[in-house]
Amino acid sequence: MISVALDIIGALLLILGLVLLTISFVGLLRMHDTYSQLHAQGLATGPGVIALLASSVATEDAGIITFAVLGIAFTVLTSPAAGHAIARAAHNRPDRP
Amino acid sequence: MRTLLLVPALIWLTLLLVAGGLVLLRARDVLQRIIALDLLAVLVIGVLALLSYLRGERYYFDAAVALALLSFVATVAAARYLESGGPFE
Repeated sequence: MISVALDIIGALLLILGLVLLTISFVGLLRMHDTYSQLHAQGLATGPGVIALLASSVATEDAGIITFAVLGIAFTVLTSPAAGHAIARAAHNRPDRP
Repeated sequence: MRTLLLVPALIWLTLLLVAGGLVLLRARDVLQRIIALDLLAVLVIGVLALLSYLRGERYYFDAAVALALLSFVATVAAARYLESGGPFE
């Protein structure tokens, strides 16, 4: 019973992650400004990969889920910092186009 | 969840990876290249995670977490380099 529920939750999270990554990619293709591209890319590096890693609940393997939680925590910490660093570099770099 | 969903997901992620390489090649600006490279690292993390689910091995996840660390450091270093014009300024 709980295994089936975990399977369904994992499949939904996996599909959500793939959809988010695809949306982010289409955004990256369609936008031409650096800030807009960064906005589109933040969807993949934040929620997209978090949903993809969270779908590890369906594996019911303690080791894999532990590493997935580690990866999620790390992504939550670093993805906004990386985006901010890129935006800052775009804002005040010496040879701004 | 086993192979019925994981194999198409892996194929889709691989297609996204190839297209991401094309975006990386046709970027006009250094910052756009950094952004595309960050996205590529995320896609590779996803591929490694899906491989780990598919095979039931946890070694792939070691590589995924290490790649997340490396990609963060590389992105911040490249952005800082571009911002200041030198690595140690």
